[in-house]
Amino acid sequence: MNNLSTITVTVNGARYERTVEPRLLLSDFLRHELGLTGTHVGCEHGVCGACTIIFDGQPVRSCLMLAVQANGHEITTVEGLGTMDDLHPLQEAFREAHAVQCAFCTPGFLMTLVPFLEENPDPTEAEIREAISGNLCRCTGYQHIVDAVKLAAKKMSVGGES
Amino acid sequence: MKIQGEYVFDGPREEVWDLLRDPEVLATALPGTQSLTPVSENEYEGKMHVRVGPVSGAFSGRVIASNEAPPESYTLTVEGNGKAAFVKASGDVLLIDPGDGTTLMKYEGEFQVGGKLVSVGQRLIDSVSKRMLRHGLDTMNKALQERMLEVGD
Amino acid sequence: MTKKYLGQRMTRTEDPRLLTGQGLYVDDVEIHGMLYAAFLRSDYAHARIKSIDVSAARSRPGVVAVYTAEDLGDFWQHGPPLVPAPHSIEGVIFHSRTQVPLAKGKVRYVGEAVAVVYAESRYIAEDALEDIVVDYEPLEVAADLEKALEPDAPLVHEDLESNVASHLVQDKGDYAAAREKADLVIKRRFLIDRGAAGAMENRGVVAHWDEKSQYLTVWDTTQAPIPVRNGLANILGLSESQVRVIAPFVGGAFGPKIMMFLAEEVLVTWGAIKLNRPVKWIEDRRENFFATTQERGQIHDAEIAVTRDGRILGVSHTFLHDTGAYNPYGLTIPLNTQSHSMSGYDVANYHSELTVVFTNKMITTPVRGAGRPQGIYLMERLVDLAAKELGMDRVEIRKRNFIPPDAFPYNHQIIDQAFAPLHFDSGNYLATLEKATDMIGYEQFVKEEQPRLRAEGRHVGIGIVSFVETTGVGPYEGGRVTVEASGKISVATGVGTQGQGHFTSFAQVVADQLGVSPRDVRLVTGDTLEFHWGTGTFASRGSVVAANAIHAAAVNVRAKVLKLASKVLETPEEQLELVDGLVRVADTPQKSIGLGELAVLANPLRGAVEPGTEPGLESTDYYGPQYGATANGSHAMIIEVDPETMMVDIKRYVAVEDCGTMLNPLIVDGQVHGGVALGIGNSYYEQLIYDENGQLLNASLADYLIPTASEIPRMEVGHEETKSPLNELGSKGAGEAGCIPTPALFAQALEDALADYGIEITETPMSPNKLFELLHGKKFATNSTN
Repeated sequence: MNNLSTITVTVNGARYERTVEPRLLLSDFLRHELGLTGTHVGCEHGVCGACTIIFDGQPVRSCLMLAVQANGHEITTVEGLGTMDDLHPLQEAFREAHAVQCAFCTPGFLMTLVPFLEENPDPTEAEIREAISGNLCRCTGYQHIVDAVKLAAKKMSVGGES
Repeated sequence: MKIQGEYVFDGPREEVWDLLRDPEVLATALPGTQSLTPVSENEYEGKMHVRVGPVSGAFSGRVIASNEAPPESYTLTVEGNGKAAFVKASGDVLLIDPGDGTTLMKYEGEFQVGGKLVSVGQRLIDSVSKRMLRHGLDTMNKALQERMLEVGD
Repeated sequence: MTKKYLGQRMTRTEDPRLLTGQGLYVDDVEIHGMLYAAFLRSDYAHARIKSIDVSAARSRPGVVAVYTAEDLGDFWQHGPPLVPAPHSIEGVIFHSRTQVPLAKGKVRYVGEAVAVVYAESRYIAEDALEDIVVDYEPLEVAADLEKALEPDAPLVHEDLESNVASHLVQDKGDYAAAREKADLVIKRRFLIDRGAAGAMENRGVVAHWDEKSQYLTVWDTTQAPIPVRNGLANILGLSESQVRVIAPFVGGAFGPKIMMFLAEEVLVTWGAIKLNRPVKWIEDRRENFFATTQERGQIHDAEIAVTRDGRILGVSHTFLHDTGAYNPYGLTIPLNTQSHSMSGYDVANYHSELTVVFTNKMITTPVRGAGRPQGIYLMERLVDLAAKELGMDRVEIRKRNFIPPDAFPYNHQIIDQAFAPLHFDSGNYLATLEKATDMIGYEQFVKEEQPRLRAEGRHVGIGIVSFVETTGVGPYEGGRVTVEASGKISVATGVGTQGQGHFTSFAQVVADQLGVSPRDVRLVTGDTLEFHWGTGTFASRGSVVAANAIHAAAVNVRAKVLKLASKVLETPEEQLELVDGLVRVADTPQKSIGLGELAVLANPLRGAVEPGTEPGLESTDYYGPQYGATANGSHAMIIEVDPETMMVDIKRYVAVEDCGTMLNPLIVDGQVHGGVALGIGNSYYEQLIYDENGQLLNASLADYLIPTASEIPRMEVGHEETKSPLNELGSKGAGEAGCIPTPALFAQALEDALADYGIEITETPMSPNKLFELLHGKKFATNSTN
């Protein structure tokens, strides 16, 4: 039988203490234990990137981690990025550029791009495409997503609001 | 999938033949084998635990020897079933005496695999099966060498 | 009435919710006391089930129930056929064999469900699957399409004499006679293989049975909530009004999510009632490869008869179509193939013999394109090969054969997937092709750039193909438009939405009629409680059929608004206008009344009304086209191939699309981009590889290569617009356009890039491996259809 473990995780700035099975995936923990269903599960083998979250500042596949591994760490999910009335500039850009169709992959893209744009505030198209090559999208063909990133970079640059 | 190859044993054919038909030796030779018990003269029942990449599981199955022409040749048929996969293999084994005290074994056969193992671990099956076979033959060769030493004493 | 919003590149109303992770998808549904279902699936493509022992699974803590086919009793039955045999073609052979909830007696494909577990958590349910012991007796497998027709082939359905599921012949004119007159006849065999839809969200069903109110609520990733609700009610012995099916936000569908009544939909709902607990099932990615439908497998033996100046006299092909182990979706895919085998060319003589074959593989049902890519591949390849032999330019030969713009409506005479004679409503194929050649700079590339680059030793090629796309098929859809007391508009329609932006594009249609902002129009799609007449989202028909139904309803509401406002404002209707949510007198703007106020007046709580009045400002209307509208397009691409690594670099990609009136061009562009991306995947990176034992060898995203942002190029999209005369809006569908011509385009461009090797490509999907084999003169062994 699995021994239960009590873990403490900070998600979007809030501390959560929960008792979980060691084999509980981090993606399931976020979605079903904490009810943060914005992080989506597309493959559970680390390829599609839909489950990407920010873990201690780095984008990470939550389907490849166990909840117990997150004990004592800080996580940001898409819910921590912005609200419907107060979108993050990246979310604004996605909307303006029509980079969203079914939106299932979108949270994964956003959480991959936030750290990317922090390190690369003015990326070229080639750099953007490489940065998102670990996120699959079946709806958009990626073009509008690339456009959105360029737009976001402009919005987020010092003094920039396009 | 086709499988074929050669292997040189350090001993005469008659010894190699006995070795190949010895369930205890076979059980130690194939990695992951938990038991191999004779059911009749030519048939064994076995249990194995195998890992291929991310997929692992228990197997139970039968090994049947047929077309026996000692010490030259025989056909080996293996059928195994488990949660992770099912296997069906059949191969002809030929033992040749090159006249220098060794035995050249040639094997040729086919095997079919299905199940989770195949759909997820497909790329690894080829290399893993070759490695397992190689390991098994090396182990048997070592056992053969030990026996030869005993005989030699 | 001005068209202010229709045709605007509006951003989507639904995006803020989706971008902040607040959209509801099926797996987000959490109900207290919910159980999780898991399915034990066959590892064998063809085997007799000797016994199933579920005792260990049943005794696992946390497992509530485990069932096999035997346990279902009278409930066990074959699913309903979703598409019947075409009644309008003579001499059709059609053996209907539909899927079952759990295999009984034998399994017919890898992935077929054999047992179902209901447990307290998904983890426990999957543990319990490992406890189940099934004793199979493996049978010979019919995996290869041609071998399945050999006399001693193993029978997928033993009550039939062979694996022939269907056979029919369609003729237009007299091909044999045309062939006699030809200067050149080209014969080829084309192999086309399976691909997956690969939506990012896998399938899922949640069912909640309320015992006290005797009501079943189902959340389902379906493209067709209304037929699902009706079918489930029938299967479960309930009244339709006791069942609500909701397709919430769905993470992409692309076709397979319209397949209904597979094991999971049936057993999750049945289980919820039987166990009186909510049940959830969410497919995982590996299951999706086996247990979700797929398509494209066909083998064509084809010929084209042409004159020496490139006029097509006739086309003939005999083809096999792989339906998998069952054929619930009838002949939709191969009929579509036939409908597109003449493409947009004026072909007077056509002969097609179709044999549909049962194989021990997953069922095939439409995947984006739905049989059209295969037909276009056939025709465009034949045209290219004819052009080569005649020494004619490939653009020129196409121009010589297009149906001219004045020949519409054009009756192709053969029967289409709606069982009616194939009609093309309108189009200007020449204009589309010319726009594509302009955009890609065809002349300049072929005459100047290509020779220059080739002299440098680079393998660059250009491809350009044309295609048609039948869209907007019936039978019908409906829409209801209501003005609410708040002045906002609510709209409901039966189709579901899986990313196409219906919440915005349909709102634009209504906004123009009622003089409001589309942001003030709230749309509900895919909820049978809100709207329960309709068929679903498929075959590129939302923007045609649903939009026109909604448009009709909006027109009706506008009429009601004007009639009532005219009375209230004591002004004739002609002098009134609807602007900014108000009805006002044109020259006296202060004389106005808000739509909301009008709505309240139209729904009095007291007093008398005139006999015959309907309450409120609401209308429900329907639209059913006599036949589907036909879109068309032309794609062009410049690629560079590395003959050492076989890697392909797409330098430029041009897609010209004519889908009639566009409701929202921004959304259309998105659809074209997505379609092209899927088409590129279909052409060079993706193939579902089955071995001779019916084992799927690449059931993971690590081995089934969906293209990433590194493989998909920037696409330049151009538009032509020949409105459809068949509907008020003049719209045609565009959802599938992007992926229909891509395999044919790739074949042509690859051949061109590697012209010095003199290869000929007659198989799709291609892949780096296959290209390698071709270049080195080896005949490559394809795993499936060959």
